[in-house]
Amino acid sequence: MRGAGAVTGRGQAGKAAVAAVLAVASLAAALAAACRGAAPSQDLSALGWEEIAVRARGSTLTMTMWQGDPYINAYMNGYVVPALKRDHDITLKLVGGQGSQITAMLMTEIEADQAASAIDMVWINGETFFQLRRIGALYGPFTDRLPNARYIDLDDPFIRYDFQQEIHGYECPWGNVQLCLIYDTGRVSRPPMTREELALWVSDHPGRFTFDNAFTGMTFLKAMLIDLAGGEAELAGPFDERRYIECSTRLWDYINGIKRFFWKQGETFPVSVAQLHQLFVGGEVDFTMSNNDGEVDNKVLQGLFPDTARAYVPSWGSIQNSHYVGIVSRSAHVAAALVAVNFLISPEAQLEKMKPQVWGDGTVLAVDKLPPVWQARFKELPLRRHAPQRSEIQARALRELDPQYMIRLYEDFRSHVVAR
Amino acid sequence: MSWRDRPALAGFALYLAVALLPLAASLVYGGLYSLGIAGLLAPGATLAYWSRTLSSPELWSALAYSVYIAAAVVGLAVALALTLALLLRDRLGAGWLSGVLLLPMALPGAVAGFVIFQTLTAAGVVGRWVAAAGLPALTNDRPGLGIILAHLLTAVPFFTLLFAQVADSERLTEFTALARTLGAGRVQRLRRVALPLMLRGASSSIWLVFVVVMGSYEIPLLLGRQTPEMISVLALRKYAMYDLTQKPEAFVVAILYTLVTAGLVTLVMAPGDRKGGRAA
Amino acid sequence: MAALGVGAACLLPILFLVIRSEPGRWAAFWRADPGLTGSLAVSLAISTMVALMATAVGWTAGRFVAYHRRRRALLLLAYVPFVISPVVAGVCLLYFYIRIGLSGGVTGVVAAQLLFAMGFAIVFFQGFWNEEKRALEDLARTLGSTPAQIYGRVLLPISRPMLMLCFFQTFLVSWFQYGLTLLIGSGRVRTLPLKVYDYLGEANVAYAALGSCLLVAPAAAVLWGGRWLLARGTRDVS
Repeated sequence: MRGAGAVTGRGQAGKAAVAAVLAVASLAAALAAACRGAAPSQDLSALGWEEIAVRARGSTLTMTMWQGDPYINAYMNGYVVPALKRDHDITLKLVGGQGSQITAMLMTEIEADQAASAIDMVWINGETFFQLRRIGALYGPFTDRLPNARYIDLDDPFIRYDFQQEIHGYECPWGNVQLCLIYDTGRVSRPPMTREELALWVSDHPGRFTFDNAFTGMTFLKAMLIDLAGGEAELAGPFDERRYIECSTRLWDYINGIKRFFWKQGETFPVSVAQLHQLFVGGEVDFTMSNNDGEVDNKVLQGLFPDTARAYVPSWGSIQNSHYVGIVSRSAHVAAALVAVNFLISPEAQLEKMKPQVWGDGTVLAVDKLPPVWQARFKELPLRRHAPQRSEIQARALRELDPQYMIRLYEDFRSHVVAR
Repeated sequence: MSWRDRPALAGFALYLAVALLPLAASLVYGGLYSLGIAGLLAPGATLAYWSRTLSSPELWSALAYSVYIAAAVVGLAVALALTLALLLRDRLGAGWLSGVLLLPMALPGAVAGFVIFQTLTAAGVVGRWVAAAGLPALTNDRPGLGIILAHLLTAVPFFTLLFAQVADSERLTEFTALARTLGAGRVQRLRRVALPLMLRGASSSIWLVFVVVMGSYEIPLLLGRQTPEMISVLALRKYAMYDLTQKPEAFVVAILYTLVTAGLVTLVMAPGDRKGGRAA
Repeated sequence: MAALGVGAACLLPILFLVIRSEPGRWAAFWRADPGLTGSLAVSLAISTMVALMATAVGWTAGRFVAYHRRRRALLLLAYVPFVISPVVAGVCLLYFYIRIGLSGGVTGVVAAQLLFAMGFAIVFFQGFWNEEKRALEDLARTLGSTPAQIYGRVLLPISRPMLMLCFFQTFLVSWFQYGLTLLIGSGRVRTLPLKVYDYLGEANVAYAALGSCLLVAPAAAVLWGGRWLLARGTRDVS
């Protein structure tokens, strides 16, 4: 009895093992024999706008966006989605996702030969744009086909160029922001305006200043890098290794010189700008920063920042850049996506978005190109109360550098500052 | 095969088909990716990614740090849970206490991390007393105390409930009573009866928690430092890097992590194995 | 005394979350996103399904593993999902799911979550099946019980507490699964945790706390509901 049971037991395990091996092998073989799926035919070049609008009706679009701000969510859910449904019979579904997540997903879709992509539109910034272009995941060029595109201020170098390169119509500008430092007038009476003043301030107030280890913090450092290089012209154009080494050495020397006065003695940095905001609100640090110059108004309205919070741009300047909307190349609803993007850059949608109590995001439209009635409405926008007026800080706006500078800053910050 | 075993085999076969096969295939694919063979921007078979990653100190420090954190969490959690389970055994079961113990278990890693950060950071409710008393910081600190505490928040209740269940199932009361009649003292009963029984029954779950803590992501992201970082944080950071051609390095880290944890688990399970596999 | 202390310690994090979330905002939050109720239902359905299947598999497969000659090897196989890094488990799995058409739907999400839930359940149960249970089975068989009777009247009742604990844990494994669900579901399968996780990482602590409450409350409710059912069942038996 025991022997029979033992034999049966071993036999069962052996059979299972063989079956498993065969299964893996056949799975691998099946997948190796690539069955190329055809992307849906999206040749809209022959169609006029009216025909595109007709084709768009009844479609369901999926758009990825950053969903971490309830005000932006409210603008999208409460204004954009109903308007698209009402005026164009397009159902817009919003999905959370940003940056590398989107790239990973689209890259895997392409690698696995998925015929129709799961998403149609993406809200992206420069970094992601270039990654997606690299893998051919964006549809375009398309911005020229949008009727509202004629209002876009393409003369503005901050809109036309993304990370020093032409966008060639593969992404549509949607909004425009500039990095600002945020402080509490109740705690800080004179915010530092120059690098020397900043160094003095942190040494007088140890542990009360830091920046994050992510996009916003690196953008903050980029402006300093430009300043240390001697101005925008020095680092414009394609990446220059020699110049980068020169300027970054000065930057790391400056930072390392005052590092010990940072939060946690500069041994660690907040992992995201959200964490930095939390430290600011909690009173652990006296400064925070945001890529969006209008964010301070927003956060004060939310009740998160105190009413005494103000934003400003230091004299060495800060990066201004636009954020964009792209259409996925394998989308099955390109016509609807075109209509949706066109709506997003319409004067009414851009005006609504710019209101401080809604989002406070800068517009990409050239206001003087708009019909007079719209010009008047834009001028009537309530003034910002806590954020600086755009006209004030425009003079200190710096353009984004070549993406390679950003990559190196990320890496070298870890090796030259954090690890020291 | 005995009739009794048919559902058991079916269960395992389902696991094989739904979990193991896809994961095995994924591992193979990940391996091919790391060798530059698979992937959209793959340059062709190369060992460059492997050699570059293996020679970087951040990989090894991440592995070591992850093992340290996992060992600390499991060690402390088991010790605390054993104490609680033994102390409160009669109160657990269907009582209100076991219901309350379920509560922290309902916290996912990200929430536990959030709670610990908000309470223990220097401006937090508890943190300000810690800072005022001059004690070392409990968040974003080098020894990873914040990370450990956040994991303990869920691990201790789980283990407590598990040990209580195991004690019942292994008939702890009877065995300790037997030991007492045989003349064993309190400490002896603890060391030679209670602890081995409970640990044996729960050992596989204990090692599972070890593995899960090693690979944890959200908690160390929020409560840890840039260096040293835990292995999943490193892998995902490399994966999300701007330069897409560096992606294979993330797969190298991922595969190494898999090999190391698989190796650890294999080593650890070998001596503790019970002779329970008699077929007839 | 110790019990009270432990109980208080367990309640503290939840209390912190509730207080910090400023309950005055709850209504506004719920109104701002109309899809929340729908995603709650979807999430509950998915997690319950995953937990039921995983517990069933764990209970049976755990037995298979525990009584097998190659117990150790089979047990190690149960650890595989946890040993594999999320980078591989995420992106590579998505690749295969796309290829076999499982991506972007609930089936794919359930299958992906089952990966972890089943592995957990098997590990959980194989410590449970021991010589004594085996002896019980043999005894029942010699007394002439049918397989169904053995499973139903002997093994099931003694397994109840462990089954419940396993159901709870696998439910949680599924409920809190974020990264894989986001990838495999391609953002289309919108579980509540998915919607709420973004708030966790954000600056507004009140919203993060509120999101946490939303994540934790249904999970806690399921845990307690199951416990209550178990208690009722035990009362009936005795």
